[in-house]
Amino acid sequence: MTVANIPFLSATELAAAIHSRDVSATEAVDTYLERIDAVGDRLNAYITVCAEEARAEAKKLDDEAADGNFRGPLHGVPVGIKDQIHTAGIRTTDASKIRADYVPGTDATVVARLKAAGAVIIGKTNMSEFALGDPISSWFGPARNPWDTARNPGTSSTGSGSATAGFLCATSLGEDTGGSIRGPAANCGLVGIRPTWGRVSRAGVDGASWSTDTIGPISRTVADCALTLGVIAGHDPKDRYSRPEAAPDYLDSLDRGVAGLRIGVVQELMGGHGLNLNEQTREAVAAAVEVFRELGAEIVPVSLPMAPLTGPIVRTITSTERVSLNPEWLRERAEDYHPNTRVAFAVGNLIPGQVYYKALKLRAMVRRQVIDTFRNVDLLLQPTSTGPAGLLADEPAVVTNKEMAVAALREGSFRGLYSLSGCPALSIPCGFTGDGEGALPLALQIGGPHLGEAVILRAAYAYEQATPWRTRRPPEL
Amino acid sequence: MEDLNNDEIRALAKAVGLPLEEPELSQVTHSLNAMLEEMDAINPSGFNLEEYVAVVQTADLEVAE
Repeated sequence: MTVANIPFLSATELAAAIHSRDVSATEAVDTYLERIDAVGDRLNAYITVCAEEARAEAKKLDDEAADGNFRGPLHGVPVGIKDQIHTAGIRTTDASKIRADYVPGTDATVVARLKAAGAVIIGKTNMSEFALGDPISSWFGPARNPWDTARNPGTSSTGSGSATAGFLCATSLGEDTGGSIRGPAANCGLVGIRPTWGRVSRAGVDGASWSTDTIGPISRTVADCALTLGVIAGHDPKDRYSRPEAAPDYLDSLDRGVAGLRIGVVQELMGGHGLNLNEQTREAVAAAVEVFRELGAEIVPVSLPMAPLTGPIVRTITSTERVSLNPEWLRERAEDYHPNTRVAFAVGNLIPGQVYYKALKLRAMVRRQVIDTFRNVDLLLQPTSTGPAGLLADEPAVVTNKEMAVAALREGSFRGLYSLSGCPALSIPCGFTGDGEGALPLALQIGGPHLGEAVILRAAYAYEQATPWRTRRPPEL
Repeated sequence: MEDLNNDEIRALAKAVGLPLEEPELSQVTHSLNAMLEEMDAINPSGFNLEEYVAVVQTADLEVAE
């Protein structure tokens, strides 16, 4: 292996190479920094590149390794962190002008856990301003999709998707409120998991919507996703809503296959029902279902009548909750927000109380439907989104009519079951729009019951190993 | 349900202390009308028997604290 190939290793492969002393942490960090210098401007994936800090940390890790001490499973592995997650001594901006100079004094729990496992924080990744789902609202300019830099990398963890797919970090962290891990994973051909609500600590993470926010990995492979999740998951007394259960070793059960699993396919999300599902996506997800059948799973159709309605419910709840945070900024510093953020915050402020409460009641119904469904099936399959990544210029940056706003609300229904129920869900590539350059990834979503991350990852791994999609790379930048 | 117009949206915004003018005013009007219309149309069977239960369960809080 040449040093130049280091960025193209999976995080799992890189960790093994560092552990076997074939590669040093310094070599890993230097080659990633060189690649960021060479092509980073084309993706704008990072708000802050932590070159000096990363090099110093890599040196420490190499000294420890020379003494036979490895901190943990990510020893020397460069990780990108979404810029709403606090990093001690490194600015955490929420991609906003308002927070452009904010430097936290302490690490978020997830960052502390990554460091304790030996990870090197290589940079803070770009995002939608304050984690709203807008592709162009970052004060630092939009991040771009490595598969086609004219396209949206997926919101709101735009830079985590872009950096990971562009080989500018080995793995990354995102934050998913209404789909902000799964969306970037889908648009960028990556694997991203929204964990069970409360499974991963949110202490030290700037909130978007308290009752739906989750932190999780966006990675290039299922094993990388399992590795990263295993490091950050588990109870944290600093997060009062953290779940008490210990996290298992997600890598342990990856290769157990899907034979014997009962897997449902959500019928209402496979076409029709007022959702504009792209035909290529529908066909790719249907083909993926057949792969699971061939691998030995029992496939059953499942009806969740409220599934196509979840997008507006999610948006009503998250829009209302997010404007409870720092309301004085909107009154006193409105001009410092991106116009699209101002519009979204204004909508959140004007939602009538009875509509918000209706959304909460509907959420309770959806939650129960989802939990009841998982008494009969182990997993659920469905598309992650309506179709492949859209052009940045085509995104609804300006809402010119009500129909456009309705379409945007409904699109969220592809990810709403899990945001509302708190159950975990993973997005994984399941095909491309074509064979040649310019082809874009399509994505399958695998959902599971509360704390069902291990079985989701196990199924995703079986699918990944049975299909060729993981071997495709974006065009060289 | 009837859509709210820009003047009505401007008045609602003023009531919560938000000055709102074009071009954002029309975008807020479209977005809020869309949300209210979509939410109004969701009326599943059994809705009136439902009450909201916090996503945080008591057992979780007891352990966390």
